[in-house]
Amino acid sequence: MEDFRRALLNADPRLGKFDPLSRIIYYDDFDQGYQGWSELIGNYEDDLSSLLPGYEDLRPPMLSNATMWDTGSAGSMEGNYALKLATRAHAGHIAVDLKRVTWRHRGPLRLETYFTFKPEATELRLSETDVRAVGVLFDIQDSENRWMPHLRYLNALNGEQLAKWQFKRYREPLLQIGGTGKTRSHFHLAPTHWEDVPNGRQILCYNEIATKLNWHYMRVDLDLASRHITRLQCNDRIYNLTGVEPMMMPAMANLWCMLNVVFWVETDVNKRAFLYLDSVLLSGEW
Amino acid sequence: MVRQNYTATLERNRVFQGEFATEPYECGWASEAIFFVRKLETTGRTVGAKLRVQISADGIRWSDEETVLRLTSAEVDFARVKHFGNFLRLVGKLPKGASARVIVSLSLKE
Repeated sequence: MEDFRRALLNADPRLGKFDPLSRIIYYDDFDQGYQGWSELIGNYEDDLSSLLPGYEDLRPPMLSNATMWDTGSAGSMEGNYALKLATRAHAGHIAVDLKRVTWRHRGPLRLETYFTFKPEATELRLSETDVRAVGVLFDIQDSENRWMPHLRYLNALNGEQLAKWQFKRYREPLLQIGGTGKTRSHFHLAPTHWEDVPNGRQILCYNEIATKLNWHYMRVDLDLASRHITRLQCNDRIYNLTGVEPMMMPAMANLWCMLNVVFWVETDVNKRAFLYLDSVLLSGEW
Repeated sequence: MVRQNYTATLERNRVFQGEFATEPYECGWASEAIFFVRKLETTGRTVGAKLRVQISADGIRWSDEETVLRLTSAEVDFARVKHFGNFLRLVGKLPKGASARVIVSLSLKE
């Protein structure tokens, strides 16, 4: 049965490059449109000015054919369009987009994507340390806990190439928003308290000028039952996740069975940073 | 198959004063677009100010497309654009002493 299923997947060139669990929850090929991915915003009451500062401006996604000033449109890995996240041209700015669904079984979950990142090609220089980080996080709630696995590839910091995977379990302060007592918010993507994934250094194929893109494979496995990150893979590297833990907090009102997947990109310099997602597949054992 | 439509919020609660430009938006898949400018709050003389639609081949270098969005006293103003290639943005300049806290939306259709 498993061989037959694998043969069916392999017969489809779009799905053949993934290793999904038994149930495909969603498969988003951005040649078909935005597929339910949108800009993240924090919580507010009465006035947008009540947003925590980090949540004010996380930028809408675009459908991009990766057009470059020198060689024109690169297209995506499969077809023409990728989902593009773009920061502002301010060092430390992040662009964050997500898709919101719910889960129906506390079992294994798998996220796979083909992605790449680049700075805006405003200079005729290599610019390989201009993108600070790209990352993925999950925002999940069950009957007892809200838990948020955060993983990022820290490409560079303050101009120094670091090229390593990190995670964040530290809980930023949960702050009251507005006056009703119903709304709270925490800026969990704050740049502090990130920790290294053991042996997490990885040099990705950046290529040799700022306008050349190579696509990378990433896979993250979670176990919704034990609330653990069980696997991180990027291209040929599979990481030992001993001690790699999610952010954990008590369950909150209005978030039952939440299953959000969030991607982001952060710039290290006063230049826009771009994260491109060719396609995203979320699957589960249910 | 129905036609794709997508609305991007280019600016939210941003204060325009002096010279300003929205972030580049890549939308070559769309064949028509409408910029909406919703004014949450204004000070000084904003009515009559002209915002210009710009296009770009690379998202870096910009040219006036010649569509103009003129600010009025209404809550929302808009400008329609067609045949714009791949990148769009809106630029403008408010007179000294004037400012507008705005939401700028770009409604795109295949």
